[in-house]
Amino acid sequence: MHIPNGFIPLWQCAIYFVILIVALYFSQKWARKNLDEKSVPLMAVLAAGIFAIMSMNIPIAFGTSGHMVGGALVALVFMAPEAAVIIFTLVLLVQGLFFGDGGITTIGANVLNMGIIGGFVGLFTFKALRKSIGKIPAIAIASWLSIFLAAEAVAVEMWLAGTFPLVPGLEMMGLYHALIGIIEAVLTVVVIMGLESVRPDLLAWNRKKNVEEVKSESMEAAAK
Amino acid sequence: MSPKDKKLVLAGLAICIIIAVLAPFIASSNPDGLEKTAEDVSTTEESGIYEAPMPDYTIPFLGEDNPYGGIMALVVGVLITLGLGYIAAIFLKRRNASQQ
Repeated sequence: MHIPNGFIPLWQCAIYFVILIVALYFSQKWARKNLDEKSVPLMAVLAAGIFAIMSMNIPIAFGTSGHMVGGALVALVFMAPEAAVIIFTLVLLVQGLFFGDGGITTIGANVLNMGIIGGFVGLFTFKALRKSIGKIPAIAIASWLSIFLAAEAVAVEMWLAGTFPLVPGLEMMGLYHALIGIIEAVLTVVVIMGLESVRPDLLAWNRKKNVEEVKSESMEAAAK
Repeated sequence: MSPKDKKLVLAGLAICIIIAVLAPFIASSNPDGLEKTAEDVSTTEESGIYEAPMPDYTIPFLGEDNPYGGIMALVVGVLITLGLGYIAAIFLKRRNASQQ
């Protein structure tokens, strides 16, 4: 779902770049507070992994292809959408500059869709569902929804740009990515549960558990 | 880097290389969801204002359909993103004196 050069008028690209700069500002603030020595290799590996999965278009139905994104994956590993903003900015820069996958003028919009929307939707859907339906189904639904809504955001941006009519754009982008979303959900569950079994110390939800428990306990106490 | 972290990087790199090696054989040259939608409901075409050195993950002097070119392009990309991710994380991490 990389928007190429020429699909968005330049003045609109400028708006997406402003959004990107604001998002990067908050993300570097988050990083300075939360990224430690251990996060450095993890960040590097995730960037390479996201590059690899986003570069490979898998055939899907209707004569189209699509790739996984991993916005929810990154946000869930760090329990922070800010991490997705940083990683997707790097990966989309490399894809756009070296491989012509996604435009240069559209990097702002592409990071918005895959990193910001993908990361936020993934993380907050997971947080909303984790307690009621359990960890694994919550990861699956969160990652499916993150790629689906990212695709629908692309359709809306294409409509604002005057490139696609709204309804057919929403329908087609939605349909294709609802299918890719299934692969995305499987991959996200496999990677996160894999990390959980070999390196649980890397997952933010294990690290922050104590802090969160203390917080919710103190909030409960305050409520009483 | 601790030995555990070295293992993580090597394992991650190995998975990426496997994807890169398989990609030219599995990957589809069909248009992706966005390109397909553009073909079907729009007349907009991609503008050629920028030419990437390895367009569509190919290495031009090896030819467009050369699977080794495709593998090389992906491996180069994996190494670049791994390096950039590492450098960015070092710059951004906690307790770093250099403020931007």
